[in-house]
Amino acid sequence: MNKYLLNGIYGILGLIVISAVAFKVFQPIQVLPRMQLSPAFNLTDQDNEQLTSEELRGKFILYTFTYTNCPEPCYNIDETMQEVQARLNEVDLGGVDVSFVTISIDPDRDTPEVLNAYAKSLGADVSRWQFASTTNKTLLKTIISSGFETYYEDKGNGDFAFDPAYVLVDGWGIVRAEYRYQTEVSSADRILRHLGVLAEEVQNSDGTSKLAYEAAHLFLCYAP
Amino acid sequence: MKLKVVLPIVVVMLGLAVGVYFFRPHTFHGTVIQSPEPSFDFKLTGKDGDVSLNDYRGKLVLIYFGYTFCPDICPATLANVGQALRNLGEDKASEVQTIMISLDPERDTPQKLAEYVTHFHPSFIGITGTEQDIAQVTSLYGIFYQVQPGSDATGYLIDHTATLLVIDREGYLKLVFPFGVTVDEIADDLEYMLRQ
Repeated sequence: MNKYLLNGIYGILGLIVISAVAFKVFQPIQVLPRMQLSPAFNLTDQDNEQLTSEELRGKFILYTFTYTNCPEPCYNIDETMQEVQARLNEVDLGGVDVSFVTISIDPDRDTPEVLNAYAKSLGADVSRWQFASTTNKTLLKTIISSGFETYYEDKGNGDFAFDPAYVLVDGWGIVRAEYRYQTEVSSADRILRHLGVLAEEVQNSDGTSKLAYEAAHLFLCYAP
Repeated sequence: MKLKVVLPIVVVMLGLAVGVYFFRPHTFHGTVIQSPEPSFDFKLTGKDGDVSLNDYRGKLVLIYFGYTFCPDICPATLANVGQALRNLGEDKASEVQTIMISLDPERDTPQKLAEYVTHFHPSFIGITGTEQDIAQVTSLYGIFYQVQPGSDATGYLIDHTATLLVIDREGYLKLVFPFGVTVDEIADDLEYMLRQ
């Protein structure tokens, strides 16, 4: 075989391997994994209106789960939700809306009226941060425990045992990040950084740049 | 001398282009999900008894949620899947199981569902269950649905998420096709997944 041709082939294979390794090592593009489908739901919000997973499509959504009688500081859940909202302007969202949804695990006591008063006490802008639940407890369990994979249990004495969690869902209804444990970086910091990463991917979801982003998914170049 | 330098460069460039073309990763037409765990294993009722997702481990499973009175989008999607399977040929199609889960247990009996789905492809199966069962499986597959009043001619209608889901041979959700996916796009992605 022609020597040049052989060299050429080796060169090509080498280049492909090198560029793949370089992509993996240097991670020029970082993405968030597409982990699973976010559960679909039809809940009742603080204004006694239905809040469905369908109407939240097209936005980034940060979900969390708690109950209004949770003894303070209650894992600082509300504070984290407030901090992310207050610092949203630090992130270039490229025009994508972000919604915040707190789902109550205690529908018996957290009626729409109670949730409404609670939202007011937090000074929440309910056009962006909604509080919701459903009296269908079987379905609530399906949505939160199986769908969002977040443990909670009614201890029967007015208290609930639960694992604090935030779940970030993209505009296609796909779970992109979960925050379930404390790290050195605060949850709010990580959530804000991840919102930026998501927004960047949305802005590059056409043509050649889409290929590069799909390569980042393929090589598992996940943002920490 | 000059040729000795230029020729290898040209060959390498050409080869690189060809190499990249042939070794490029498959570009999926649906959205790829990197599920860390297997999909929810439902158990619903078909014409020949209970059907669960795990019955089809080893095959690709396409799941579509709809109902037989569905005026337009369900037949369009199911027809596209049927045609994609015919385009793939019998051997490959036999490695794929398409399941329609009815959102309308009140009107869709297992018998009626079977008649409906086999109209699109003889291998399709249709299953349904109690309202509670359907509420659970739809929620966990990200499918929102809601009954809407229709006309006297149509009866009530059901608004629903119209995605087509692909479960891989190991039972993991792998791909989500949006509504409007074409025959060729479905066939292309399935063919690639069957090669895996």
